[in-house]
Amino acid sequence: MAQNAISQEIFDAVVVGSGAGGGTAVHVLTAKGLKVALLEAGPMLDVGTEFKEHKVPTDYDHRGAEEGGKAYFGKGKPFGFFSTTSGGWELEGEPYTVGEGSQFQWFRSRILGGRTNHYGRMSFRFAEYDFKPYDKDGLGFNWPISYQDISPYYDKAEEFIGVAGTIENVPSCPDGKFHAAPPPKVHEALVKKACDKLGVICIANRRAVITKNLNGRAACHYCGQCGRGCQSASAYSSAQVQVFPAMKTGRLKVFDLAMVREVLTDENGKATGVLYVDKQTRTEKIIKAKVVILAASACESTRILLNSKSKEFPNGLGNGSGLLGRYLMDTVGFGLSGTVPALEGMPHYNTDGYGGAHLFMPWWLWDKHNKLDFPRGYHIEIGGGYSMPGVGSYHSAARRHGYGANMKTKIREGYGNTIAFAGRGEMIPNIHSYCELDPNVVDRWGIPVLKFHFKWTDYEWKQARHMEKTFAEIITAMGGKVAGLSASQRESQGISIPGTIIHEVGGARMGKSAKDSVLNGYCQTHEMKNLFVMDGASFASNPDKNPTLTINALAWRACDYLAEEMKKGNV
Amino acid sequence: MSNFVPLETIDRRALIRSLALGLTAMGAMDVEAAQHVHVETGAEKAKNGIYKVKAFTAGEYTTIQHLAVLIVPADSVSGSALDAGAPEFIDTLASQNVQIANIFHGGLAWLDAEMRKRYQATFAAAKPEQQTRMLDALVEAGRELAERQSEELVYQKSPIYRDFTGYTVRRANELGAGVAFFDWVRKMTVDAFYTSPIGFKDLNYIGNQALGKYTVPTEAMEYVMKRSPFA
Repeated sequence: MAQNAISQEIFDAVVVGSGAGGGTAVHVLTAKGLKVALLEAGPMLDVGTEFKEHKVPTDYDHRGAEEGGKAYFGKGKPFGFFSTTSGGWELEGEPYTVGEGSQFQWFRSRILGGRTNHYGRMSFRFAEYDFKPYDKDGLGFNWPISYQDISPYYDKAEEFIGVAGTIENVPSCPDGKFHAAPPPKVHEALVKKACDKLGVICIANRRAVITKNLNGRAACHYCGQCGRGCQSASAYSSAQVQVFPAMKTGRLKVFDLAMVREVLTDENGKATGVLYVDKQTRTEKIIKAKVVILAASACESTRILLNSKSKEFPNGLGNGSGLLGRYLMDTVGFGLSGTVPALEGMPHYNTDGYGGAHLFMPWWLWDKHNKLDFPRGYHIEIGGGYSMPGVGSYHSAARRHGYGANMKTKIREGYGNTIAFAGRGEMIPNIHSYCELDPNVVDRWGIPVLKFHFKWTDYEWKQARHMEKTFAEIITAMGGKVAGLSASQRESQGISIPGTIIHEVGGARMGKSAKDSVLNGYCQTHEMKNLFVMDGASFASNPDKNPTLTINALAWRACDYLAEEMKKGNV
Repeated sequence: MSNFVPLETIDRRALIRSLALGLTAMGAMDVEAAQHVHVETGAEKAKNGIYKVKAFTAGEYTTIQHLAVLIVPADSVSGSALDAGAPEFIDTLASQNVQIANIFHGGLAWLDAEMRKRYQATFAAAKPEQQTRMLDALVEAGRELAERQSEELVYQKSPIYRDFTGYTVRRANELGAGVAFFDWVRKMTVDAFYTSPIGFKDLNYIGNQALGKYTVPTEAMEYVMKRSPFA
């Protein structure tokens, strides 16, 4: 591959990846006056064309089935045509491989803002106990930091990105700095009644959506389409909330379609910049910086470190412990739904709200693990309401009811009567779940690809069975009928396929010493003071709380530390 | 060329967009403006003249139109799938994808052949009760097939299956091809209907609006709670 001249400009920091971690890094660092380069493997985000907020199916001849009806053949966009997602589990020309006997699906987003463009915006703080899981049950690893260390940064992150919620004093899910939360919808109020009866805690959801104006962003207008991208930036996305404003400082330069191959180092053991492939010209380019920050997503950052091989670092950077790529985790997922007769015939109303459920159930048995056959908790997300009809919405109902006047009436009567539950649980890191470089495969840019190995253990399977039992109890308590799983479905669908919850974290975990971890508590590699990893790769455990808010907070804390260290001349 | 996008470009674009949405200086007025945009984008596109069929013969298209009315007929609440543009939708996708076109060419030919065998008339030319009897038979055969498939799944997973090589699962009955086709025409017709303004009205879907405040009507809450086990 041709190599272009090296850019003469030396940045204070180069940030690889523009999602939650990279967005936070460029925001915090440019605010401190640093000159920053941001590299994104996808194109710039054009909110006007990429975000299909407010659209309806008839705005398109294909109604959402996509050109040539791709969606009918399972080849449509991962979350439907209207989703803002740019990326998926399969990317043309950018493969990965999976070890024999393993299942893993790796979601990659390739656009400015990354997955924060489409994510669910669930924003839960980790609990105090989440940072010391090993102390609690002897499994997994403690973090080198405590809740007290990160709490001020949860405050900063919440205040800046904006999170709606309520103060509840639930130890498993600490309170934060919240905007007012919208009221429960009818089906959620019903779920709460059932939960009250069963002793399950059910409280206002916590989502990164603002319900009052903030920093020039308009309060939510309740169209319920956060997953399509929010034109008014009322729902957090790193591109709109952090990267675009950072560009306005004049201290941020964005390089898009820049696929980073490796971190460059010098003979003094310091990182000097990154080497990337400019996808437009297919040439290699170099960006020099005093500090290198990887925030390309847990596995992509791990891949870059593994590919950063040199005489001094034959196994990749930060890999003195041999732990790079190890202890990869995803969230345990399981879902169950039911039909609820009490909802039949309800006078219809607008159930969009602020885009997701208005209530959720945090883990309620945090002090009862001695009575359970699995060690870690989960939270429950609620689905239901009168959602916008789309391609595929009524295929199974149509099959059930045949055709004609009867089918039409049945679909009308059944609309909005289903309530769904999704469990999101903590996995214990295990030695069978990791990624490494595949020695035989490169992507279309010539960069060696990752090979994944993954196993759920009994801890996760038993947790999923507890989810199933609990969801069935809640549905039954509401007077509903469970849409049950058959024995064969339970075997094949009783737990999510690893990677599909898109909460993959770990791979460059933080810890106390260079012997047992890649990073320290400030996301800094033990081995190289000017090399940081500010995405989910740093996670020592994967609590049931969705990772984004913690990535925001950890990145913010790491940047404060980094700026101080630079001032002192330590970096 | 630099990859750097000039700030002015971003600023200007962002400004134009926010002006279009009326969301720069927020307040009740802006919610109205945003609502206007929602309605605008939601409005059905104007239809100029008569639809020109792209992928099907006139005979095939007539049968698709008949099927649309049979699958989702008009009733006191709303119009039919024909009114909602289902045939146009199917034709559009078939014109873009030969795989869909062939599913319909083959399926429609099968349907006419089967109708001739049964009633000595093509589907479109047959009497309404003959058409519905045909569709009833397909629905019934579809159910039977689904049951068998799930039995087969369970059976294949059992240890006995491997040892009992003489067992063969009946994969289809004589209407198998028709069942597969009917599933296609039904799902595409249903999709076209419910994604249209007529379908939205049929379901009484009232979302996708810009609201200044989100409230849940007491009436709906009371209705459900009264009928719940928590009354």
